[in-house]
Order: sequence, then C-alpha cells, then structure tokens
Amino acid sequence: MAETKNPTNANSPTTGKGVRCVITTPEATVLDTQAQFVSLPLFDGQRGIGRGHAPFIGRLGAGEVRITGERGGAADAVRRSFVEGGFVEVGQDTVTIITQRSVPGEKFDATSARADLEKIRSVPARGDDAIESRMRSEEAARSLVRAAERRN
Amino acid sequence: MAKARALDRRRKSVKNIRKITRTMELIATARFKKAMDRSVASRDYTTRLAKMLENIAATSGGDGESGVAGFSHPLLEIRPTKRTAVLVLTGNRGLCGGYNSNVVRQSLAILGQWKGEQVGMHTAVSGKRGISALKFRGIEMDERYTQFEDKPEFDQVAPIGRAYLEAYAAGEIDRLDVVYTKFHTIARQAAVTETLLPLKPPEASGSPADTKPAHATSAIGGQDYDFYPSAESILEEILPASFMARLFKCFLDSAVSEQVARMVAMKAASENAGGLIKDLSRRYNRARQSQITGEIMEILGGVEALKK
Repeated sequence: MAETKNPTNANSPTTGKGVRCVITTPEATVLDTQAQFVSLPLFDGQRGIGRGHAPFIGRLGAGEVRITGERGGAADAVRRSFVEGGFVEVGQDTVTIITQRSVPGEKFDATSARADLEKIRSVPARGDDAIESRMRSEEAARSLVRAAERRN
Repeated sequence: MAKARALDRRRKSVKNIRKITRTMELIATARFKKAMDRSVASRDYTTRLAKMLENIAATSGGDGESGVAGFSHPLLEIRPTKRTAVLVLTGNRGLCGGYNSNVVRQSLAILGQWKGEQVGMHTAVSGKRGISALKFRGIEMDERYTQFEDKPEFDQVAPIGRAYLEAYAAGEIDRLDVVYTKFHTIARQAAVTETLLPLKPPEASGSPADTKPAHATSAIGGQDYDFYPSAESILEEILPASFMARLFKCFLDSAVSEQVARMVAMKAASENAGGLIKDLSRRYNRARQSQITGEIMEILGGVEALKK
C-alpha cells in the first residue's frame, strides 16, 4: 500500500489551483470539489494525485478516498469518502471517480459496518463465482470497517 | 323536482371527483419533478462511463490484439438464443392513461414472438399492474417485483442486474430484453423493447471513437492514457458496470414516464370533469326553470279557475 506521488507535481504552494475531484455514482454526482491533493484506493494500493499528474485510467479497489486541502477549507483538512470499486480517470488536472457505491466520511458507522461484514460472512457461498463474489464483498466490507474505525 | 335533484347530486359527485383528480395531478407533477431530477442526476454516471470507454477506445484502439478492436468479453458474445429473459417494467398503480397497457401490449408481442420460435423464457415482471395483466392472460412469471415505486434506487436494482449477469455468464440465458416506457421528452414517451444482453461492443455504442482512425489520441486533447492494470482488464470491469447503468436507466425512465402519464391523464380527467359539471349545471338550471314555470302555470290556472 505504498503512497505514490508524482514528484514533479507534489502538493506545494506553487501548484496553483490543485486538482478537481469528481465522484460519480449511478444515482448522482456526490462530490465535485477543488483540492490540493487526492489519495485513491487503486486495485493494488493507494495512489496520490497532485496537480499535473500524468493521465491514466485505473481500476479502483474498495477503500478510502482522501481529499486534502479543499478550496474554502484549511490547507491540511482532509475529507474522507469510502468507495467500493469502480474506475478512475485522471487527466487535465481532473480526477474522475466512477463508482457504484460511495459513503461520505461523516456517514461512516463502525457498528453497522461490522454488522454488514458479519452478515456477509454468515452467508455460505457455493461455486467459484459465488466464492469470488463473496470474497469481494467481504473485502469491501472489511475496508469500510477499517475506514470507520480509523475515523473513530 | 326529482330530475333536478338527481342532476344536482350528480354534479356534486363530479365536483368531488374533480377535486381528487386535480390533487392527483398536482401530486404527479411534484413526483415527476423529483423523478426527473433523479434521472438527470444519473445521466452524469453514464456520460462519464461512456467518455472513459471512448478514451480507452481512442488510446488503445490501434494496438491490434491488445486494443479494443480485438477485445472479446462474454457479455459481448452473440450466442444463438436457446433461452431468453424478458423483464417487463410497469407501475404498481393505475390511473395513468395507457402507460401500463402499452407496456403490457408490447411485452405480449415479444413473449408471443419467443413462444412462436419455441425459445425457453424466463419472465420477470415489475409492478402490480403488469403482474395482474399478464396473470389474466395466462403468462407464467418466474419473478415478480413490487418494491419499485416512483424512486427506484440503485441498491434495489443492482441485485436484479447481478442475477442476470450471472445467469448470462453461466449460459442459463442467451439474451435479455427489457420492455419499458422510454422517456424521450415530457410530450413523448413510448413503450419499447431494448436488448441489454448481449451488450453492444464499445465501438458500436455511439461513441465518436468508432468513426475515428486508430491514431486518434489527439482528438482527446493529445492525452495518451496509461492503464492500471491494463485496458482489457478495465474494459472487463466497465462492461458489467455499463450494463448495470443501462438497466438502472430503464427503471428511472419507467418511473419518470409513469408520473408524466399520470399527470397527463389526471389533467385530462380534471378538464373532462369541468366540462361535465358545466353540462350538468346547464341541465339542472333548465330542469329547475321548467319546474318553476310549471308551478307558476299551475298557480295561474288555479287563479283563472277561481275567477270563474
């Protein structure tokens, strides 16, 4: 889970406006904000995006999106949001996250997340596809529990 | 007096009905606005997903086998139809003009077509109206959903979509048709049958990438994208997401169309009630006037008789 940054475009006072971060779910665009730095849960680990990052399209895993230095807030303030898989497109200083589920940080609830995890684990899975699907759901639920506990 | 009283009673009853239809029209208008807002908000997801597909196609389209052109996925595979799935989306409630009956008619046509071709069918119906109409016509239903109202949520639709994806991957179904009311504009909605599975390949999805030459990266601002882990792997994940988004859109379109249909039907009913009240008032006034005239004539006749 190594944090990767583009060294030439790191979050510094000279970076100007920063990056635009958009989180879209099938129901609505839940977040559209300007920030200094965005940290994403890619399928193989966390990755940091600053201004001028090289364009890429990636697959997301389940985990926390951390948005640092939002416009209108303190420079070191971090907004957290949980995303369950999906995709990210980075280009032209815009980070577009397309995910099927997004939980804003203020709605993290460790108790209900743990209950969801237990519920997933209690359902037996038969067959390769079902086992794979259950493993994915379990991993996502575990990530949400971790995120919620970290906040607490 | 009996006729005038009956007319008055009827007029009062029509007035009460008009109050109800007027209220229903206002409720449908409010719900339509909310449903429309949800539908518009959800477009962003589809647009961004399509744009991402377009960028993948434009960047990796010319790479031969590794590009989108040579990409194959089980969801894109067109198989001979041995067993098909049909999902019919209707409303739980009536009083919405031809909304439910149009969808039922459309679904009967497609079910009849598959029956004629002796193809096995898995039929799922959403909405009490559709369920009762198809039951009346002796159609066997494998799944019935009544939980969808004017605000279908993605979490409700996702399990249905996942079940179809799994059935398609397992070879239990070779095709999925959704019969629903497509929302074009506020003045035009039409019952349509849309084939969601097999999916259309990315090139054919209407993206500008299909008309571009292979080296069209300059068309997207000269950006050459990196892919994590690879373009194929992302496409593999995007296709099911794209299917889910399309299925969700069908549910949202149905919800919006139902509210528009109810709004229009109730507006017409209120106007009709207004016309009826006008007609009944005229008839009531005439009946009352003729009754008064008759009574005056009777009094005059009595006076004349007394004079003699």
